[in-house]
Amino acid sequence: MRSMSQRHRVVITGMGVVSPIGNGLPALSEQAFRGVSGIKRLDASFVDQLDCKIAAQSQFDPAQHFTKHAYSMLDRTSQLGLHTSIEAVKNAGLTINDTLKPRMGIYFGTGMGSSHSIEEGYVRLYKDGASRLKPFTVLMGMNNAAASAIALEYKLIGPNQTFSTACSSSAVAIGEAARLIQHGYTDVMLAGGAEALLTFGTIKAWEALRTLADEDIENASRSCKPFSADRTGLVLGEGAAMLVLESYEHATARGATILAEIAGYGSANDSGHITQPSVNGQAATIQAALTDANLPPNAIQYINAHGTGTQLNDITETNAIKKVFGDHAYHLSVSSTKSMHGHLMGAAGALETVITVLALNANTLPPTINLKQPDAACDLDYVPNKAKVLPKLEYVMTNSFAFGGTGAALILKKVNS
Amino acid sequence: MSVPSLDEISKVLAKMIADKMEIDVNTITAESNLTELGLDSLDTFDLIFNAEDHFKIKVPNDQVQIETLQDVTALVHKLIVAQSS
Repeated sequence: MRSMSQRHRVVITGMGVVSPIGNGLPALSEQAFRGVSGIKRLDASFVDQLDCKIAAQSQFDPAQHFTKHAYSMLDRTSQLGLHTSIEAVKNAGLTINDTLKPRMGIYFGTGMGSSHSIEEGYVRLYKDGASRLKPFTVLMGMNNAAASAIALEYKLIGPNQTFSTACSSSAVAIGEAARLIQHGYTDVMLAGGAEALLTFGTIKAWEALRTLADEDIENASRSCKPFSADRTGLVLGEGAAMLVLESYEHATARGATILAEIAGYGSANDSGHITQPSVNGQAATIQAALTDANLPPNAIQYINAHGTGTQLNDITETNAIKKVFGDHAYHLSVSSTKSMHGHLMGAAGALETVITVLALNANTLPPTINLKQPDAACDLDYVPNKAKVLPKLEYVMTNSFAFGGTGAALILKKVNS
Repeated sequence: MSVPSLDEISKVLAKMIADKMEIDVNTITAESNLTELGLDSLDTFDLIFNAEDHFKIKVPNDQVQIETLQDVTALVHKLIVAQSS
């Protein structure tokens, strides 16, 4: 093992994404900056049995990317995680040889795990009256199935762990992966997450929490309204985002294009209530990331907010930002891209990290769409409805908070090549 | 229920293997070794699972040691005979 006394810089060199607003970086970038919504009526056989009929689905056909033999052994979550990992490795131009394999690992995040496989098993047993389950049920349903499939794809020997902290899962995975590299345990990590929870049972369970958005009467695609006074809740989404993280030395030695540096990561816990966020918990998360980056609050120019669109989250997050940033809260910009791509739960943090990296390099802040009615309690600059060009972006942040309490904030720094 | 012939069983199983592995069914013979066709132990369990569904039989755990298509065909035939009598 290399010396732990020296802290390595960690950079992002590759990203892969499947999202409700586009697969691949060019499509995602175009849609996110243009303020396009990926939310619509759910395309599913059971939609008539739902109270909440809207969702943010990703267009992803596994048959286009894998052999039938390969994809039939993987839950949709794993298919998404594996595909975006392959895309991220390609984007990084990374050759994974025998020397690298022991120095490269996977940290993966997912909230609900393999929802489709688990539910299919229950339907078979309880509804169809079957006496047994398919042989792959355990292997497809286990929460570490995606990370395992990714490791097998590249025969990686480095650490392979799955984080499940609900909506912050993949942000935690990225932050913890960065720490592994920082402290010299690995040189390269694949980090991010996937979520595919748009099943009948899972949506019903979310309906019962009374936290899902009402369908906008005029236009279903406008149903998610973070920071707007008329917001009614979150919209469930599916997709995945994976990133290649490397030590700065490793990336520069191979001449990689550096997309951004992970300048700071912080995680803290809300300890007040299982669903109600607290200003103190969220502020502690943001402060932890600033401390880790050794940055003053006024260095941060943009925050990609957790911004779910629930009444409580958006006020709490606004107040947490004010608590940490003081007056500077009114000088930075905050936006919730969930207004476009919905809430990808375990994959949300990774998708929003990718969007934040794209924003950093394009010097353009993605908007919060559907922000039509100002809320007196949400009085920051939320980049309403239209992307904003902000030359000389240098430090940006992305927040993830979660049911259960685990928060994660990542600070990204532009690296000029 | 009438008991299907070995040939009929073999054809059904060959098609299951061809569909699963995305290979040409005509390349599969009775002597084909399942490992050489690309099936690992889990794929073999899956094949047996599908055969159980299709032929309405139950394969006991101690009888899943099979190597060739011929072995699976014989096993399935034996169980259909035993379980239909």
